[in-house]
Amino acid sequence: MKTTTESYLDIKQAPWPIVILDKELTILEFSEGANHLFDHSKLEQAVRLDELFDLLPKNLKKQITSGAPYKSTIPTVCQKGSQRWIKTTFYPIQNTDNLHVLFEDVTRQKTQYELAIQATDIAKIGSWKVDLVKNTLFWSSMTRKIHEVADDFEPDLELGLNFYKEGKHRENIIQAVSECIESGKSYDLELIIITANGQEKWVRTIGEAERRNGKTVAFQGVFQDIDDIKREKLENEKLNNRIRVAVESANIGIWDWNVADNNLIWDENMFTLFGLDSSKFSEAYEAWETSLHPQDKEFAANEVKLALEGVKDFDTEFRIIKGDGSIASIQGRAQVFRDKKGEPLRMVGTNVDITGIKRKDERLRRLLEVTEKQNKKLVNFAHIISHNLRSNSSNISMLSGMLLSDKGGEKTQQFLEMIQTSSEKLEETLNELNEVVKIQSTAHSELSKIKVVPIIETVCEGIGAILHDAEAQLDVQLGENLTVNAYRPYLVSVLQNLITNSVKYRHPDRQLEIRIEAEEESNQTVIKFSDNGLGIDLKKHGNKLFGMYKTFHGNKDAKGIGLFMTKNQMEAMNGKIEVISEQDNGATFLLYFKT
Amino acid sequence: MGVKKLFLVDDDDIFRVASEVLVKYNNLAEEVISFENGLLAFEALMALEHSPDELPELLFLDINMPVMNGWEFLEEIKEGPEIIRNTVKIHILTSSIDPNDLVLSKSYDFISGYIAKPLTDSDINKVAQSLSSATI
Repeated sequence: MKTTTESYLDIKQAPWPIVILDKELTILEFSEGANHLFDHSKLEQAVRLDELFDLLPKNLKKQITSGAPYKSTIPTVCQKGSQRWIKTTFYPIQNTDNLHVLFEDVTRQKTQYELAIQATDIAKIGSWKVDLVKNTLFWSSMTRKIHEVADDFEPDLELGLNFYKEGKHRENIIQAVSECIESGKSYDLELIIITANGQEKWVRTIGEAERRNGKTVAFQGVFQDIDDIKREKLENEKLNNRIRVAVESANIGIWDWNVADNNLIWDENMFTLFGLDSSKFSEAYEAWETSLHPQDKEFAANEVKLALEGVKDFDTEFRIIKGDGSIASIQGRAQVFRDKKGEPLRMVGTNVDITGIKRKDERLRRLLEVTEKQNKKLVNFAHIISHNLRSNSSNISMLSGMLLSDKGGEKTQQFLEMIQTSSEKLEETLNELNEVVKIQSTAHSELSKIKVVPIIETVCEGIGAILHDAEAQLDVQLGENLTVNAYRPYLVSVLQNLITNSVKYRHPDRQLEIRIEAEEESNQTVIKFSDNGLGIDLKKHGNKLFGMYKTFHGNKDAKGIGLFMTKNQMEAMNGKIEVISEQDNGATFLLYFKT
Repeated sequence: MGVKKLFLVDDDDIFRVASEVLVKYNNLAEEVISFENGLLAFEALMALEHSPDELPELLFLDINMPVMNGWEFLEEIKEGPEIIRNTVKIHILTSSIDPNDLVLSKSYDFISGYIAKPLTDSDINKVAQSLSSATI
């Protein structure tokens, strides 16, 4: 017993955690280190090893009596409640029945290891190793799990490779493995395997060679199930591609402006849209600055400012000058992203070239205007048909009906004359209608520069007798060389009609004076035709003055066709006619000719 | 059967002559007085304001006329003395077949009829019938 007591003294001061134990697990002595490792009170009160650990290995007693050292990592709960792992080694003391027991706290290592195991489990990472010397293939349990094979499955290299999907996946892995064996080149591939259950699965396989004397003796690596991630990624790519195709084919440019850093990014479509070479611009902002139409610069900058301030959304149109110098209309829309305080962080937007749409729009609008004008003319036509044609034809039918039923009596002869007159009027109306139709179908292309003064002279010669009878005074204040863009027969007709109108509606109390002047403006020539005749109450008749078959003075000669024709002829020559007048104070007609 | 006096307002002299014959032949009126525009007719009516016995019982009114057309004439009548509206049965007589004109005529509640030219015996008979039924 003494010897043992002496040996107890040996360990008592030892800084290492060590105890002396007998075969029955009774603690005979413990070191200061052990006292430190376990909670002081615990070890001092403990008599047996069981009291230090909650759960000892089952066959511990048998193991420690075998004569060889025995190692085991045993869990214990410290007073604070957390679990600790103690690596415990039992060394039999020679020539005694006692043992030295050495402790090491491996809680940290154990936790880290477990975390690592857990991590590979969660990440579905397995491992494998091919030993080319022994010609074996080892798979970790996770690798087996990924392949969906049983735990006792015995893989070899060929079997392993055959799991890869036939075609490019298998070809790729075979090539990579071959290169790894031949030249030691490592690989990292994402491929599809067909699992034992027939499932397609995306895996990532990484292989590295182990070389000895310039030869690959083994290679090993990790094997990861990336099916979910990969499929998601592929789905995203597909979606992205779809969006990209849509955006590209719709010619939508996308820009992204980091407001804080003032960094603007354009996608390739933006450069295409602006007709610029993206490689020539280090900053998209520069491209934007150079392209914006000078007249729209201030406006566009203000729109951006308003969007940043949150006053209104950015949804606007502006013009740009493209790389080839042509002007394009762009529709821009954008959204502002803000931080929690509402400060703008980013502005992301789209640009679309709407030049074509705008042009079509414009054309449609013009077409609509023409159609509206023609519609008005059609209504006028309906009016003519209902009034002039019908009034004459109904007269004829009334008169002939009365003649047939002998209601004429002594007026029979007069009725016959009236039928004659009505049919003449009918013919006249038809001729006038024909004239109107002709005017409306005259093409603008027949216009040419025509001198005005000789035309006036021609007109005056033709109606010289009327002018003479009316003792009219004609004052032509036009330059000899004044020309207007016109169609000669219409110009003659317009001037003749205005002059005869002046004569017809001259004032009975004063001598007729007609004055013709002209003003040449940048894009038009205005001929001013004024007289001192009866004039017309425009408030009352203004909107009807140029209508067909409108007469206003109860004058016998008035047929209401003259000014209607004049207006149509002016319009057929791309021009227009306006009137200024007051009852009893003469009239001034303004003839506008486009230059 | 017919009325004593009818005003015929139309700028077309042929129509005036022809319809006067037709009116008299059908005994619609003993006397037909013609006017070539609305203004002349209106002035004639106003001159008779204070001698209502002299007012015509019937008036045929054209629409398209110079100086004062049918619509303008109706506006004047609408604003004018009530006695005229109560005494004179106005029938529009027009060559217009524009449905808008018919619609517009309905907006004057004192109008008695709307006839599209040509004027026929049956038109005149209808006017005569409307007169007798109105008397009853």
